[in-house]
Amino acid sequence: MTEAAILSIDRVRKHFGGVVATDNVSLDVAAGDLQCIIGPNGAGKSTLFALVCGMHELDGGRIVFKGKDITWMLPSHRVREGLGLTFQTNRVFGNLSVQQNLEIPLAAIRGERGVEAENRYRVALKRFDLDLKDQTQAANIPHHKRQWLEIAMALAGGPDLLLLDEPTAGMAPEETGNTAAVLRDLNRTGLTILVVEHDMAFVRGVARRVTVMHQGRVFADGTIDEVTARRDVHDIYLGRR
Amino acid sequence: MINPFSLLSGPEDLGRGLIFGLGAAIVIALFLAVPLYLSDFAAYNVSYYLLNIPMALGLCLLWGYCGVLSFGQVAYFGIAGYAYGIIAGNLSGHSWGPILGSLGGLAIAAIVAAVFGYFVFFARVQMWILPILTLVLTLLLETFLGQTAGYQWRVGSVQLGGYNGMTGIPAFQIDDFVFSGYSFFYLAFGLALFCYFACRMLVNSRHGKVMLAIREDAVRTEMLGYDIRMRQLLVFVLAALLAALSGLLYVQWGNYITPSQVGLLSAALPVIWVAVGGREKLLAVVIGTYALNWLNYQLSSSGNQYALVIIGALLVVVMLFFPRGLVVTLAGMVGRASARSEASTDRGHRSSPA
Repeated sequence: MTEAAILSIDRVRKHFGGVVATDNVSLDVAAGDLQCIIGPNGAGKSTLFALVCGMHELDGGRIVFKGKDITWMLPSHRVREGLGLTFQTNRVFGNLSVQQNLEIPLAAIRGERGVEAENRYRVALKRFDLDLKDQTQAANIPHHKRQWLEIAMALAGGPDLLLLDEPTAGMAPEETGNTAAVLRDLNRTGLTILVVEHDMAFVRGVARRVTVMHQGRVFADGTIDEVTARRDVHDIYLGRR
Repeated sequence: MINPFSLLSGPEDLGRGLIFGLGAAIVIALFLAVPLYLSDFAAYNVSYYLLNIPMALGLCLLWGYCGVLSFGQVAYFGIAGYAYGIIAGNLSGHSWGPILGSLGGLAIAAIVAAVFGYFVFFARVQMWILPILTLVLTLLLETFLGQTAGYQWRVGSVQLGGYNGMTGIPAFQIDDFVFSGYSFFYLAFGLALFCYFACRMLVNSRHGKVMLAIREDAVRTEMLGYDIRMRQLLVFVLAALLAALSGLLYVQWGNYITPSQVGLLSAALPVIWVAVGGREKLLAVVIGTYALNWLNYQLSSSGNQYALVIIGALLVVVMLFFPRGLVVTLAGMVGRASARSEASTDRGHRSSPA
Protein backbone atom coordinates (compact mmCIF):
# COMPACT_ATOMS: atom_id res chain seq x y z
CA MET A 1 0.00 0.00 0.00
CA THR A 2 1.44 3.30 -1.07
CA GLU A 3 1.38 6.24 1.32
CA ALA A 4 -1.22 8.35 -0.51
CA ALA A 5 -3.63 5.55 -1.45
CA ILE A 6 -7.24 6.36 -0.57
CA LEU A 7 -8.37 2.85 -1.54
CA SER A 8 -6.17 -0.17 -1.26
CA ILE A 9 -7.36 -3.51 -2.57
CA ASP A 10 -5.10 -6.25 -1.33
CA ARG A 11 -5.05 -9.77 -2.86
CA VAL A 12 -8.81 -9.90 -3.14
CA ARG A 13 -10.34 -13.24 -4.14
CA LYS A 14 -13.91 -14.09 -5.05
CA HIS A 15 -15.36 -17.11 -6.78
CA PHE A 16 -18.90 -18.02 -7.72
CA GLY A 17 -19.18 -21.79 -7.62
CA GLY A 18 -16.30 -22.98 -9.76
CA VAL A 19 -15.81 -19.67 -11.54
CA VAL A 20 -13.01 -17.50 -10.22
CA ALA A 21 -14.22 -13.91 -10.69
CA THR A 22 -11.29 -12.11 -9.09
CA ASP A 23 -8.06 -13.94 -8.45
CA ASN A 24 -5.75 -12.19 -5.96
CA VAL A 25 -6.41 -8.74 -7.32
CA SER A 26 -4.29 -6.00 -5.77
CA LEU A 27 -4.90 -2.41 -6.71
CA ASP A 28 -4.20 0.97 -5.13
CA VAL A 29 -6.11 4.12 -5.94
CA ALA A 30 -4.14 7.25 -5.11
CA ALA A 31 -5.99 10.13 -3.46
CA GLY A 32 -6.96 12.70 -6.08
CA ASP A 33 -6.56 10.30 -8.99
CA LEU A 34 -8.96 9.63 -11.82
CA GLN A 35 -8.40 5.98 -12.55
CA CYS A 36 -10.13 3.70 -15.03
CA ILE A 37 -10.44 -0.06 -14.94
CA ILE A 38 -10.85 -1.58 -18.38
CA GLY A 39 -10.95 -5.11 -19.67
CA PRO A 40 -13.10 -7.44 -21.76
CA ASN A 41 -16.40 -8.87 -20.55
CA GLY A 42 -15.93 -11.31 -17.69
CA ALA A 43 -12.60 -9.82 -16.67
CA GLY A 44 -13.85 -9.35 -13.10
CA LYS A 45 -14.29 -5.57 -13.19
CA SER A 46 -17.84 -5.49 -11.92
CA THR A 47 -17.14 -8.17 -9.33
CA LEU A 48 -14.27 -6.08 -8.00
CA PHE A 49 -16.62 -3.12 -7.92
CA ALA A 50 -19.26 -5.10 -5.98
CA LEU A 51 -16.60 -6.25 -3.50
CA VAL A 52 -15.44 -2.70 -2.83
CA CYS A 53 -18.96 -1.42 -2.16
CA GLY A 54 -19.87 -4.51 -0.13
CA MET A 55 -22.55 -6.08 -2.29
CA HIS A 56 -20.61 -9.35 -2.25
CA GLU A 57 -18.55 -10.79 0.57
CA LEU A 58 -15.03 -11.68 -0.45
CA ASP A 59 -13.38 -15.10 -0.08
CA GLY A 60 -9.97 -13.70 0.78
CA GLY A 61 -7.93 -10.56 0.91
CA ARG A 62 -8.46 -7.13 2.38
CA ILE A 63 -9.90 -3.77 1.37
CA VAL A 64 -8.66 -0.61 3.08
CA PHE A 65 -10.40 2.74 2.54
CA LYS A 66 -8.95 5.96 3.98
CA GLY A 67 -6.72 3.90 6.25
CA LYS A 68 -9.63 1.91 7.65
CA ASP A 69 -10.18 -1.80 7.01
CA ILE A 70 -13.64 -2.00 5.42
CA THR A 71 -13.45 -5.64 4.34
CA TRP A 72 -16.37 -6.66 6.56
CA MET A 73 -18.10 -3.34 6.93
CA LEU A 74 -21.81 -2.99 6.05
CA PRO A 75 -22.39 -1.41 2.62
CA SER A 76 -24.32 1.49 4.14
CA HIS A 77 -21.45 2.21 6.54
CA ARG A 78 -18.96 2.23 3.66
CA VAL A 79 -21.08 4.87 2.00
CA ARG A 80 -21.11 6.89 5.21
CA GLU A 81 -17.34 6.56 5.35
CA GLY A 82 -17.19 8.43 2.05
CA LEU A 83 -17.84 6.02 -0.79
CA GLY A 84 -20.28 7.11 -3.50
CA LEU A 85 -21.26 4.83 -6.33
CA THR A 86 -23.43 4.24 -9.37
CA PHE A 87 -24.40 0.89 -10.82
CA GLN A 88 -23.69 -0.64 -14.18
CA THR A 89 -27.39 -0.85 -14.97
CA ASN A 90 -28.96 2.45 -14.06
CA ARG A 91 -30.72 2.22 -10.70
CA VAL A 92 -32.40 5.53 -10.09
CA PHE A 93 -35.83 5.20 -8.45
CA GLY A 94 -37.85 5.09 -11.66
CA ASN A 95 -41.31 5.43 -10.11
CA LEU A 96 -40.31 8.48 -8.10
CA SER A 97 -39.83 12.03 -9.33
CA VAL A 98 -36.44 13.54 -10.10
CA GLN A 99 -36.93 15.74 -7.04
CA GLN A 100 -37.56 12.73 -4.80
CA ASN A 101 -34.53 10.96 -6.26
CA LEU A 102 -32.36 13.92 -5.36
CA GLU A 103 -33.89 14.32 -1.88
CA ILE A 104 -33.48 10.68 -0.82
CA PRO A 105 -29.66 10.64 -0.57
CA LEU A 106 -29.70 13.99 1.25
CA ALA A 107 -31.52 12.50 4.22
CA ALA A 108 -28.60 10.13 4.82
CA ILE A 109 -26.24 12.95 5.72
CA ARG A 110 -26.13 13.94 9.32
CA GLY A 111 -25.52 17.65 9.52
CA GLU A 112 -24.01 19.62 6.67
CA ARG A 113 -21.81 18.63 3.79
CA GLY A 114 -18.40 20.22 3.61
CA VAL A 115 -18.03 23.31 1.45
CA GLU A 116 -16.13 21.36 -1.18
CA ALA A 117 -18.69 18.57 -1.36
CA GLU A 118 -21.45 21.14 -1.58
CA ASN A 119 -19.72 22.89 -4.49
CA ARG A 120 -19.16 19.62 -6.34
CA TYR A 121 -22.81 18.71 -5.94
CA ARG A 122 -24.00 22.12 -7.20
CA VAL A 123 -21.62 21.98 -10.16
CA ALA A 124 -22.81 18.51 -11.09
CA LEU A 125 -26.49 19.52 -10.90
CA LYS A 126 -25.82 22.49 -13.15
CA ARG A 127 -23.64 20.76 -15.73
CA PHE A 128 -25.92 17.72 -15.84
CA ASP A 129 -28.91 20.03 -16.32
CA LEU A 130 -30.79 18.65 -13.29
CA ASP A 131 -33.47 20.63 -11.48
CA LEU A 132 -33.98 20.05 -7.75
CA LYS A 133 -37.70 20.78 -8.16
CA ASP A 134 -38.26 18.60 -11.25
CA GLN A 135 -41.49 16.60 -10.74
CA THR A 136 -40.98 14.36 -13.79
CA GLN A 137 -40.98 10.65 -13.04
CA ALA A 138 -37.37 9.51 -13.27
CA ALA A 139 -38.37 6.62 -15.55
CA ASN A 140 -39.60 9.17 -18.09
CA ILE A 141 -36.46 11.28 -18.48
CA PRO A 142 -33.96 10.48 -21.26
CA HIS A 143 -31.52 7.65 -20.64
CA HIS A 144 -28.41 9.83 -20.43
CA LYS A 145 -30.11 12.09 -17.89
CA ARG A 146 -30.95 9.10 -15.75
CA GLN A 147 -27.25 8.21 -15.80
CA TRP A 148 -26.37 11.77 -14.80
CA LEU A 149 -29.06 11.77 -12.12
CA GLU A 150 -27.48 8.69 -10.58
CA ILE A 151 -24.06 10.36 -10.51
CA ALA A 152 -25.61 13.43 -8.88
CA MET A 153 -27.27 11.20 -6.27
CA ALA A 154 -23.90 9.63 -5.49
CA LEU A 155 -22.38 13.11 -5.12
CA ALA A 156 -25.18 14.23 -2.79
CA GLY A 157 -23.61 12.25 0.03
CA GLY A 158 -20.38 14.23 -0.30
CA PRO A 159 -18.13 11.24 -1.09
CA ASP A 160 -14.32 11.21 -1.01
CA LEU A 161 -14.19 8.43 -3.59
CA LEU A 162 -16.65 8.15 -6.46
CA LEU A 163 -17.02 4.66 -7.94
CA LEU A 164 -18.72 4.59 -11.34
CA ASP A 165 -19.59 1.39 -13.17
CA GLU A 166 -19.87 2.17 -16.89
CA PRO A 167 -21.26 5.69 -16.46
CA THR A 168 -21.52 6.36 -20.20
CA ALA A 169 -23.18 3.09 -21.24
CA GLY A 170 -25.77 3.83 -23.91
CA MET A 171 -24.90 7.51 -24.24
CA ALA A 172 -24.51 9.45 -27.50
CA PRO A 173 -21.00 10.85 -28.19
CA GLU A 174 -21.76 14.42 -27.09
CA GLU A 175 -23.38 13.14 -23.86
CA THR A 176 -20.33 10.99 -23.23
CA GLY A 177 -18.21 14.05 -23.87
CA ASN A 178 -20.13 16.11 -21.30
CA THR A 179 -19.87 13.29 -18.76
CA ALA A 180 -16.10 13.13 -19.30
CA ALA A 181 -15.75 16.91 -18.97
CA VAL A 182 -17.74 17.02 -15.72
CA LEU A 183 -15.80 14.12 -14.23
CA ARG A 184 -12.48 15.77 -15.16
CA ASP A 185 -13.56 19.01 -13.50
CA LEU A 186 -14.79 17.19 -10.39
CA ASN A 187 -11.46 15.42 -10.23
CA ARG A 188 -9.63 18.77 -10.46
CA THR A 189 -11.34 19.85 -7.24
CA GLY A 190 -9.63 16.91 -5.52
CA LEU A 191 -12.33 14.25 -5.76
CA THR A 192 -10.92 10.77 -6.34
CA ILE A 193 -12.78 8.88 -9.07
CA LEU A 194 -12.55 5.23 -10.06
CA VAL A 195 -14.38 4.28 -13.25
CA VAL A 196 -15.08 0.88 -14.76
CA GLU A 197 -15.56 1.51 -18.45
CA HIS A 198 -15.72 -0.11 -21.87
CA ASP A 199 -15.67 2.98 -24.03
CA MET A 200 -12.00 3.50 -24.92
CA ALA A 201 -12.59 7.00 -26.30
CA PHE A 202 -14.03 8.01 -22.94
CA VAL A 203 -11.16 6.37 -21.05
CA ARG A 204 -8.65 8.14 -23.26
CA GLY A 205 -10.41 11.42 -22.54
CA VAL A 206 -10.47 11.21 -18.75
CA ALA A 207 -8.12 8.62 -17.27
CA ARG A 208 -4.94 9.67 -15.60
CA ARG A 209 -4.21 6.07 -14.85
CA VAL A 210 -5.54 2.87 -16.39
CA THR A 211 -5.70 -0.63 -14.99
CA VAL A 212 -6.38 -3.48 -17.39
CA MET A 213 -8.10 -6.56 -15.96
CA HIS A 214 -8.19 -9.91 -17.67
CA GLN A 215 -9.54 -13.24 -16.45
CA GLY A 216 -9.89 -12.04 -12.87
CA ARG A 217 -6.38 -10.58 -12.62
CA VAL A 218 -4.69 -7.24 -13.04
CA PHE A 219 -3.04 -7.56 -16.42
CA ALA A 220 -1.49 -4.15 -16.94
CA ASP A 221 -1.33 -0.85 -15.15
CA GLY A 222 -0.06 2.61 -16.10
CA THR A 223 -0.89 5.76 -18.03
CA ILE A 224 -3.26 5.45 -20.97
CA ASP A 225 -0.36 5.73 -23.43
CA GLU A 226 1.73 3.12 -21.64
CA VAL A 227 -1.14 0.68 -21.52
CA THR A 228 -2.40 1.14 -25.09
CA ALA A 229 1.14 0.86 -26.43
CA ARG A 230 1.33 -2.69 -25.19
CA ARG A 231 0.73 -5.31 -27.85
CA ASP A 232 -0.69 -7.87 -25.40
CA VAL A 233 -3.38 -5.42 -24.25
CA HIS A 234 -4.54 -5.07 -27.84
CA ASP A 235 -4.59 -8.83 -28.13
CA ILE A 236 -6.89 -9.12 -25.12
CA TYR A 237 -9.32 -6.63 -26.54
CA LEU A 238 -9.32 -8.31 -29.92
CA GLY A 239 -9.81 -11.67 -28.25
CA ARG A 240 -6.44 -13.11 -29.31
CA ARG A 241 -5.58 -14.22 -25.82
CA MET B 1 -36.70 23.22 12.38
CA ILE B 2 -39.41 20.85 11.19
CA ASN B 3 -42.70 22.50 10.33
CA PRO B 4 -45.65 20.20 11.15
CA PHE B 5 -47.89 21.97 8.63
CA SER B 6 -45.53 21.41 5.75
CA LEU B 7 -45.34 17.73 6.76
CA LEU B 8 -49.14 17.50 6.79
CA SER B 9 -49.50 19.13 3.38
CA GLY B 10 -46.55 17.27 1.84
CA PRO B 11 -46.79 15.40 -1.42
CA GLU B 12 -46.76 11.76 -0.26
CA ASP B 13 -50.46 11.45 0.55
CA LEU B 14 -53.68 12.41 -1.22
CA GLY B 15 -55.25 15.80 -0.73
CA ARG B 16 -53.76 19.26 -0.60
CA GLY B 17 -54.95 22.80 -0.88
CA LEU B 18 -57.89 24.81 0.34
CA ILE B 19 -60.76 22.78 -1.14
CA PHE B 20 -59.39 19.56 0.30
CA GLY B 21 -58.84 21.23 3.67
CA LEU B 22 -62.43 22.49 3.73
CA GLY B 23 -63.75 19.06 2.74
CA ALA B 24 -61.70 17.40 5.46
CA ALA B 25 -62.95 19.94 8.01
CA ILE B 26 -66.56 19.21 7.03
CA VAL B 27 -66.05 15.44 7.35
CA ILE B 28 -64.40 15.85 10.75
CA ALA B 29 -67.24 18.17 11.86
CA LEU B 30 -69.81 15.58 10.72
CA PHE B 31 -68.10 12.94 12.84
CA LEU B 32 -67.86 15.26 15.84
CA ALA B 33 -71.58 16.06 15.51
CA VAL B 34 -72.61 12.38 15.52
CA PRO B 35 -74.62 12.69 18.79
CA LEU B 36 -76.88 15.18 16.98
CA TYR B 37 -78.11 12.68 14.43
CA LEU B 38 -77.17 9.17 15.59
CA SER B 39 -78.34 7.24 18.62
CA ASP B 40 -75.94 6.09 21.29
CA PHE B 41 -76.13 2.56 19.86
CA ALA B 42 -75.58 3.67 16.28
CA ALA B 43 -72.56 5.71 17.32
CA TYR B 44 -71.20 2.63 19.04
CA ASN B 45 -71.49 0.76 15.73
CA VAL B 46 -69.69 3.55 13.90
CA SER B 47 -66.85 3.07 16.40
CA TYR B 48 -66.50 -0.43 15.01
CA TYR B 49 -65.81 0.85 11.49
CA LEU B 50 -63.29 3.30 12.92
CA LEU B 51 -61.36 1.00 15.20
CA ASN B 52 -59.72 -0.94 12.39
CA ILE B 53 -58.25 2.20 10.82
CA PRO B 54 -55.01 2.21 12.88
CA MET B 55 -54.24 -1.40 11.87
CA ALA B 56 -54.92 -0.57 8.21
CA LEU B 57 -52.71 2.52 8.42
CA GLY B 58 -49.89 0.40 9.81
CA LEU B 59 -50.20 -2.09 6.96
CA CYS B 60 -50.34 0.80 4.51
CA LEU B 61 -47.02 2.15 5.84
CA LEU B 62 -45.45 -1.28 5.82
CA TRP B 63 -46.75 -2.52 2.47
CA GLY B 64 -47.68 0.54 0.44
CA TYR B 65 -44.83 2.82 1.47
CA CYS B 66 -42.08 0.39 2.51
CA GLY B 67 -42.82 -2.54 0.19
CA VAL B 68 -43.04 -5.16 2.93
CA LEU B 69 -46.29 -7.17 2.77
CA SER B 70 -47.32 -8.62 6.11
CA PHE B 71 -50.16 -11.09 6.17
CA GLY B 72 -50.06 -11.30 9.94
CA GLN B 73 -50.97 -7.88 11.30
CA VAL B 74 -53.85 -9.49 13.17
CA ALA B 75 -51.30 -11.36 15.30
CA TYR B 76 -50.41 -8.06 17.01
CA PHE B 77 -54.10 -7.14 17.11
CA GLY B 78 -54.76 -10.40 18.95
CA ILE B 79 -51.73 -10.25 21.21
CA ALA B 80 -52.72 -6.78 22.40
CA GLY B 81 -56.37 -7.81 22.80
CA TYR B 82 -55.56 -10.92 24.86
CA ALA B 83 -52.89 -9.13 26.90
CA TYR B 84 -55.34 -6.34 27.70
CA GLY B 85 -57.96 -8.93 28.70
CA ILE B 86 -55.52 -10.68 31.01
CA ILE B 87 -54.10 -7.55 32.66
CA ALA B 88 -57.28 -5.49 32.91
CA GLY B 89 -59.28 -8.60 33.86
CA ASN B 90 -56.96 -9.40 36.74
CA LEU B 91 -57.07 -5.78 37.87
CA SER B 92 -60.85 -5.51 37.59
CA GLY B 93 -62.15 -3.19 40.26
CA HIS B 94 -59.02 -1.06 40.01
CA SER B 95 -59.76 2.07 38.03
CA TRP B 96 -56.24 2.08 36.51
CA GLY B 97 -56.50 -1.53 35.27
CA PRO B 98 -57.62 -0.68 31.73
CA ILE B 99 -54.82 1.87 31.26
CA LEU B 100 -52.20 -0.58 32.52
CA GLY B 101 -53.78 -3.26 30.35
CA SER B 102 -53.59 -1.00 27.30
CA LEU B 103 -49.96 -0.09 27.90
CA GLY B 104 -49.14 -3.75 28.56
CA GLY B 105 -50.88 -4.84 25.37
CA LEU B 106 -48.99 -2.29 23.27
CA ALA B 107 -45.67 -3.18 24.90
CA ILE B 108 -46.05 -6.95 24.45
CA ALA B 109 -47.11 -6.57 20.81
CA ALA B 110 -44.13 -4.27 20.15
CA ILE B 111 -41.70 -6.70 21.79
CA VAL B 112 -43.00 -9.67 19.78
CA ALA B 113 -42.80 -7.62 16.58
CA ALA B 114 -39.29 -6.41 17.41
CA VAL B 115 -37.96 -9.93 18.07
CA PHE B 116 -39.69 -11.45 15.03
CA GLY B 117 -38.72 -8.50 12.83
CA TYR B 118 -35.13 -8.59 14.04
CA PHE B 119 -34.64 -12.14 12.82
CA VAL B 120 -36.46 -11.48 9.56
CA PHE B 121 -34.82 -8.19 8.56
CA PHE B 122 -31.34 -8.65 9.99
CA ALA B 123 -31.12 -12.09 8.37
CA ARG B 124 -32.03 -10.28 5.14
CA VAL B 125 -34.86 -12.68 4.40
CA GLN B 126 -36.12 -12.11 0.88
CA MET B 127 -39.21 -9.96 0.89
CA TRP B 128 -41.45 -12.41 -0.98
CA ILE B 129 -41.14 -14.85 1.94
CA LEU B 130 -42.40 -12.33 4.46
CA PRO B 131 -46.16 -12.71 3.80
CA ILE B 132 -45.77 -16.44 4.46
CA LEU B 133 -43.70 -16.01 7.63
CA THR B 134 -46.08 -13.44 9.09
CA LEU B 135 -49.09 -15.58 8.21
CA VAL B 136 -47.49 -18.61 9.87
CA LEU B 137 -46.92 -16.58 13.04
CA THR B 138 -50.57 -15.58 13.29
CA LEU B 139 -51.82 -19.10 12.48
CA LEU B 140 -49.53 -20.52 15.18
CA LEU B 141 -51.05 -18.04 17.59
CA GLU B 142 -54.55 -19.09 16.54
CA THR B 143 -53.73 -22.78 16.99
CA PHE B 144 -52.21 -22.14 20.39
CA LEU B 145 -55.12 -20.04 21.61
CA GLY B 146 -57.60 -22.56 20.22
CA GLN B 147 -56.39 -25.31 22.54
CA THR B 148 -56.61 -23.20 25.71
CA ALA B 149 -60.12 -24.40 26.56
CA GLY B 150 -59.36 -26.17 29.84
CA TYR B 151 -59.54 -24.66 33.29
CA GLN B 152 -55.75 -25.01 33.56
CA TRP B 153 -55.41 -22.33 30.85
CA ARG B 154 -55.96 -19.30 32.97
CA VAL B 155 -53.76 -16.39 33.95
CA GLY B 156 -54.63 -15.25 37.44
CA SER B 157 -58.40 -15.08 37.43
CA VAL B 158 -58.79 -14.77 33.65
CA GLN B 159 -59.65 -17.79 31.46
CA LEU B 160 -58.18 -17.89 27.95
CA GLY B 161 -61.21 -19.90 26.90
CA GLY B 162 -60.07 -21.87 23.83
CA TYR B 163 -62.18 -21.39 20.71
CA ASN B 164 -64.96 -19.82 22.74
CA GLY B 165 -62.55 -17.00 23.46
CA MET B 166 -62.11 -14.62 26.31
CA THR B 167 -65.25 -12.93 27.56
CA GLY B 168 -66.08 -10.23 30.04
CA ILE B 169 -63.10 -8.08 29.09
CA PRO B 170 -63.38 -4.74 30.93
CA ALA B 171 -64.27 -1.60 28.99
CA PHE B 172 -61.72 1.19 28.80
CA GLN B 173 -61.84 3.68 31.61
CA ILE B 174 -59.80 6.57 32.91
CA ASP B 175 -60.16 6.98 36.62
CA ASP B 176 -63.94 6.52 37.11
CA PHE B 177 -64.98 7.47 33.60
CA VAL B 178 -65.95 4.39 31.56
CA PHE B 179 -65.95 4.76 27.78
CA SER B 180 -69.12 3.51 26.11
CA GLY B 181 -71.63 4.74 23.55
CA TYR B 182 -70.79 8.27 22.45
CA SER B 183 -67.68 8.56 24.60
CA PHE B 184 -66.21 5.38 23.13
CA PHE B 185 -67.07 6.65 19.68
CA TYR B 186 -65.09 9.83 20.39
CA LEU B 187 -62.19 7.75 21.71
CA ALA B 188 -62.08 5.61 18.56
CA PHE B 189 -62.52 8.61 16.28
CA GLY B 190 -59.87 10.65 18.08
CA LEU B 191 -57.35 7.82 17.94
CA ALA B 192 -58.04 7.08 14.26
CA LEU B 193 -57.64 10.76 13.42
CA PHE B 194 -54.47 11.06 15.49
CA CYS B 195 -52.93 7.96 13.88
CA TYR B 196 -53.81 9.22 10.42
CA PHE B 197 -52.22 12.64 10.94
CA ALA B 198 -49.16 11.12 12.58
CA CYS B 199 -48.69 8.68 9.68
CA ARG B 200 -49.20 11.49 7.18
CA MET B 201 -46.47 13.52 8.84
CA LEU B 202 -44.22 10.48 8.91
CA VAL B 203 -44.50 9.73 5.19
CA ASN B 204 -43.74 13.35 4.32
CA SER B 205 -40.69 13.42 6.58
CA ARG B 206 -37.14 12.45 5.64
CA HIS B 207 -37.74 8.97 6.99
CA GLY B 208 -40.81 8.69 4.77
CA LYS B 209 -38.75 9.39 1.67
CA VAL B 210 -36.32 6.65 2.66
CA MET B 211 -39.26 4.26 3.09
CA LEU B 212 -40.29 4.97 -0.50
CA ALA B 213 -36.73 4.41 -1.64
CA ILE B 214 -36.61 1.03 0.11
CA ARG B 215 -39.88 0.05 -1.58
CA GLU B 216 -38.49 1.00 -4.98
CA ASP B 217 -35.02 -0.53 -4.68
CA ALA B 218 -33.68 -1.72 -1.34
CA VAL B 219 -30.12 -2.35 -2.57
CA ARG B 220 -29.86 1.06 -4.20
CA THR B 221 -31.12 2.64 -0.97
CA GLU B 222 -28.52 0.80 1.07
CA MET B 223 -25.85 2.08 -1.34
CA LEU B 224 -26.93 5.62 -0.54
CA GLY B 225 -25.87 5.05 3.05
CA TYR B 226 -29.00 3.78 4.79
CA ASP B 227 -29.13 0.78 7.10
CA ILE B 228 -32.24 -0.62 5.47
CA ARG B 229 -32.56 -3.48 7.97
CA MET B 230 -33.05 -1.04 10.83
CA ARG B 231 -35.44 1.14 8.81
CA GLN B 232 -37.59 -1.85 7.87
CA LEU B 233 -37.58 -3.11 11.45
CA LEU B 234 -38.73 0.28 12.79
CA VAL B 235 -41.62 0.46 10.33
CA PHE B 236 -42.53 -3.16 11.13
CA VAL B 237 -42.70 -2.41 14.87
CA LEU B 238 -44.69 0.77 14.24
CA ALA B 239 -47.17 -1.18 12.11
CA ALA B 240 -47.46 -3.77 14.89
CA LEU B 241 -48.15 -1.02 17.42
CA LEU B 242 -50.92 0.36 15.23
CA ALA B 243 -52.42 -3.12 14.85
CA ALA B 244 -52.18 -3.53 18.61
CA LEU B 245 -54.07 -0.27 19.09
CA SER B 246 -56.87 -1.61 16.91
CA GLY B 247 -56.84 -4.82 18.94
CA LEU B 248 -57.20 -2.85 22.17
CA LEU B 249 -60.09 -0.83 20.79
CA TYR B 250 -61.73 -4.01 19.53
CA VAL B 251 -61.77 -5.76 22.91
CA GLN B 252 -62.79 -2.55 24.67
CA TRP B 253 -65.63 -2.21 22.19
CA GLY B 254 -67.00 -5.75 22.20
CA ASN B 255 -65.63 -7.00 25.58
CA TYR B 256 -64.59 -10.31 24.06
CA ILE B 257 -62.04 -11.84 21.70
CA THR B 258 -61.76 -15.28 20.12
CA PRO B 259 -58.88 -17.05 18.35
CA SER B 260 -60.69 -16.55 15.04
CA GLN B 261 -59.64 -12.88 15.32
CA VAL B 262 -56.09 -14.04 14.55
CA GLY B 263 -57.17 -16.73 12.07
CA LEU B 264 -56.79 -16.94 8.32
CA LEU B 265 -59.98 -15.09 7.46
CA SER B 266 -59.25 -12.20 9.81
CA ALA B 267 -55.64 -12.06 8.58
CA ALA B 268 -56.81 -11.55 5.00
CA LEU B 269 -59.13 -8.65 5.82
CA PRO B 270 -56.57 -5.89 6.49
CA VAL B 271 -54.81 -6.79 3.23
CA ILE B 272 -58.16 -6.45 1.42
CA TRP B 273 -59.00 -3.09 3.04
CA VAL B 274 -55.61 -1.68 2.14
CA ALA B 275 -55.58 -3.07 -1.40
CA VAL B 276 -59.12 -1.97 -2.26
CA GLY B 277 -58.57 1.60 -1.08
CA GLY B 278 -55.10 1.84 -2.60
CA ARG B 279 -52.03 0.86 -0.64
CA GLU B 280 -49.86 3.75 -1.86
CA LYS B 281 -51.87 6.47 -0.11
CA LEU B 282 -52.85 6.71 3.53
CA LEU B 283 -56.09 8.59 2.95
CA ALA B 284 -57.22 6.02 0.40
CA VAL B 285 -56.64 3.30 2.98
CA VAL B 286 -58.61 5.19 5.63
CA ILE B 287 -61.57 5.62 3.28
CA GLY B 288 -61.36 2.03 2.01
CA THR B 289 -61.14 0.58 5.51
CA TYR B 290 -64.08 2.59 6.79
CA ALA B 291 -66.22 1.78 3.75
CA LEU B 292 -65.48 -1.95 3.72
CA ASN B 293 -66.03 -2.31 7.44
CA TRP B 294 -69.31 -0.50 7.05
CA LEU B 295 -70.29 -2.72 4.12
CA ASN B 296 -69.29 -5.88 5.94
CA TYR B 297 -71.25 -4.86 9.01
CA GLN B 298 -74.35 -3.97 6.98
CA LEU B 299 -74.23 -7.24 5.05
CA SER B 300 -73.61 -9.51 8.00
CA SER B 301 -76.00 -7.76 10.39
CA SER B 302 -78.78 -8.03 7.83
CA GLY B 303 -78.25 -11.78 7.94
CA ASN B 304 -76.40 -12.06 4.66
CA GLN B 305 -74.26 -15.19 4.81
CA TYR B 306 -72.29 -14.11 1.79
CA ALA B 307 -70.76 -10.95 3.33
CA LEU B 308 -67.21 -12.24 3.03
CA VAL B 309 -67.82 -13.66 -0.42
CA ILE B 310 -68.98 -10.23 -1.57
CA ILE B 311 -65.96 -8.53 0.05
CA GLY B 312 -63.66 -11.09 -1.59
CA ALA B 313 -65.32 -10.61 -4.98
CA LEU B 314 -64.87 -6.86 -4.57
CA LEU B 315 -61.16 -7.42 -4.03
CA VAL B 316 -60.88 -9.49 -7.22
CA VAL B 317 -62.75 -6.87 -9.26
CA VAL B 318 -60.68 -4.02 -7.87
CA MET B 319 -57.41 -5.85 -8.44
CA LEU B 320 -58.40 -6.62 -12.03
CA PHE B 321 -59.68 -3.20 -13.05
CA PHE B 322 -58.09 -0.76 -10.55
CA PRO B 323 -54.82 -2.41 -9.53
CA ARG B 324 -53.70 0.74 -7.68
CA GLY B 325 -56.91 0.71 -5.62
CA LEU B 326 -60.30 2.37 -6.02
CA VAL B 327 -59.70 5.58 -4.08
CA VAL B 328 -56.22 6.15 -5.52
CA THR B 329 -57.55 5.67 -9.07
CA LEU B 330 -60.51 8.00 -8.49
CA ALA B 331 -58.27 10.63 -6.89
CA GLY B 332 -55.98 10.43 -9.91
CA MET B 333 -58.93 11.00 -12.26
CA VAL B 334 -60.17 13.97 -10.23
CA GLY B 335 -56.65 15.41 -10.08
CA ARG B 336 -56.22 15.15 -13.86
CA ALA B 337 -59.67 16.63 -14.51
CA SER B 338 -59.03 19.63 -12.25
CA ALA B 339 -55.60 20.14 -13.84
CA ARG B 340 -57.29 20.16 -17.27
CA SER B 341 -59.98 22.65 -16.23
CA GLU B 342 -57.33 24.89 -14.65
CA ALA B 343 -55.35 24.76 -17.87
CA SER B 344 -58.42 25.60 -19.96
CA THR B 345 -59.45 28.56 -17.76
CA ASP B 346 -55.85 29.68 -18.00
CA ARG B 347 -56.08 29.66 -21.79
CA GLY B 348 -59.46 31.40 -21.62
CA HIS B 349 -57.98 34.23 -19.56
CA ARG B 350 -55.11 34.69 -21.93
CA SER B 351 -57.22 34.70 -25.09
CA SER B 352 -59.80 37.14 -23.71
CA PRO B 353 -59.08 40.75 -24.70
CA ALA B 354 -57.60 42.87 -21.96
